[in-house]
Amino acid sequence: MFSFKLGLKNLTRQKRRNFITIFVIAFAFLSYLMMDSIMNGMEEISFDNIINYDTGNVQVAYPEYWEDRDELFLENLMDLNRDMEESIENTDGLLGVSPELRFKANLNNGIDEVSVRGVGISIEKYNQVFGTKNYVVEGSMFAPGESKAVIGVRLAELMDLKVSDYITLLVRTTEDTFNTIDIEIAGLVRAPNPMINNGIVFVPLEVAQEALNVDNGISMLAIKTVTGDESVVIKALADSFKNKGLGLRAYSWKESAASVIALSTAKKGGIGAILSIVLLIGMIGIVNNVILSALERTEEIGMMKALGMREWEIVFVFMVEATGIGILGGLAGCLLGYAGVSWLVKNGYSLAYIGGDGAAYGIPILDKIYGAWNYPAFSFLFSLGVIIAVLSSILPSYWAAHKDPVKAIYHR
Amino acid sequence: MSLLELKEVKKIYQQGKIKVPALRGVDLHVEEGEFTTIFGPSGSGKTTLLNMIGCLDTPTEGEIRLNEKKVSDLSRKALAMTRRHNIGFVFQSYNLIPVLTAYENVEFAIRLIDHTSALQIKEKVLKILDEVGLNGLENRRPNELSGGEKQRVAIARALVKEPKLVLADEPTANLDSKNAADVVDIMRKMNKELKTTFIFSTHDPMVMKYARRLINLKDGMISADERRG
Repeated sequence: MFSFKLGLKNLTRQKRRNFITIFVIAFAFLSYLMMDSIMNGMEEISFDNIINYDTGNVQVAYPEYWEDRDELFLENLMDLNRDMEESIENTDGLLGVSPELRFKANLNNGIDEVSVRGVGISIEKYNQVFGTKNYVVEGSMFAPGESKAVIGVRLAELMDLKVSDYITLLVRTTEDTFNTIDIEIAGLVRAPNPMINNGIVFVPLEVAQEALNVDNGISMLAIKTVTGDESVVIKALADSFKNKGLGLRAYSWKESAASVIALSTAKKGGIGAILSIVLLIGMIGIVNNVILSALERTEEIGMMKALGMREWEIVFVFMVEATGIGILGGLAGCLLGYAGVSWLVKNGYSLAYIGGDGAAYGIPILDKIYGAWNYPAFSFLFSLGVIIAVLSSILPSYWAAHKDPVKAIYHR
Repeated sequence: MSLLELKEVKKIYQQGKIKVPALRGVDLHVEEGEFTTIFGPSGSGKTTLLNMIGCLDTPTEGEIRLNEKKVSDLSRKALAMTRRHNIGFVFQSYNLIPVLTAYENVEFAIRLIDHTSALQIKEKVLKILDEVGLNGLENRRPNELSGGEKQRVAIARALVKEPKLVLADEPTANLDSKNAADVVDIMRKMNKELKTTFIFSTHDPMVMKYARRLINLKDGMISADERRG
């Protein structure tokens, strides 16, 4: 079709303007793809950091405890019995089960005092579920039977503490009396989840149970599953607990990550807004291009009409040109986006640029947010970009084609 | 046989509240194969008359018949189809498409009406380019051609679809005397060989010299209509 050929050849006219339009579209695509990548990366890393350093895949607790779990009350604690252990042992797909006793405490270094969250853990079982041990930057995790503590580096810096220093944890027992845990620091951790680094003190489970006077009570069990899909495990545990009448419930990590998930959902709205801006930029570029081309080619349009071209045929010529610009802009944008996302995936974006770790923004990420690949975003954006280019060229093309032939031919 | 017939054709342009008459009642008959020149001072209505004849514009009053078909009150679409199949145009400023070669500029016109094979179209285009003396320049773009060569491409574009009528609005105005003479020679040759009807508007005495019919337009009316042997 000759009109198609003419539309394509017209792409070689006004090279500078076409290049600028293509570049603007490409830059808009790049911005969107990088933003999308960083948001997806943030989500992936956040979820990994929650699972691997805070909750595990599944948590088991009494519903009464779970509802007020953030209050760290010492009520409705679990007392592991044979039935509970059987339920868990008979469930397939578990890699590790870590009992935890979470409690409020005030950490005292002899001079200052700060409110922290104490976590009593059974170190061997904890290490089967969580990866904290890999991020001990000074000293070590305490050994089984050893009465020592591990704290985050940020907390240590805040309280001017180092390995082998003694700390005092002031706690309130189940009888509402005060007690203290005097304990030596075995190691300092700098985990990828900044929440671990900022305000948590890990102590041996037996030490915590004794100090809090809760006998064998634990707050919950944190479970690591073989696969990322914990729903099967949750269902199996729920059935088992129900059959045995234990009154326990299994919760997905997602329930403890509600705020991060809410942030992720809000992010999708933000990405939608960015997408709208990107498409608007593309639309303005295309409309501007078609209008300027039509103004420059007024006499040519008149000649086309004199030759007997119908309006839709002239519209088609301009639409082919506009679509070509959209396709070239989209391709360039995807190529730039590929390079940009590759860089983000490899090097990440340092949170230092926005003034510190993600904890300040409620994001469980420490140093860097790495990008994540979202290949469908490339094809989606490219397709949408081409569709928008076609649609946004219709009106200005029609405006160009609708010119009065006499006025167009004798236009000066 | 009458190819073109105008009866009491008037054209009035509205400029704000003022009505400006461009044609005040033109009666004209043009036979097939005529080589006619319309001349007159600027503002006499030459271009307006050509636009009416070329179905680019419609008269305010009166009737135009092309090939015995009334075209003065056709829709925009029907006018476009009439132009496409029956009329070729040659403009003063050539109006070639700069991104297309000489060959493609001519091919563009025939592709609109001829849906035969690419080979047949190629033969037609090369033949007409050869006839206007552009053999060997087919692949040049307009910016690589002289003014005379550009106008020859425009003539080839007008003639390739073998229209019954070719309208040329001051076709030699931008050319030097040699190129102007060449262009008029080509059109005369086509008029003789293809029996195509030509109507010019011009100020150029050289073009008028070749015309076999001279129509003098003055103040929107035909003041003289002279036929030569």
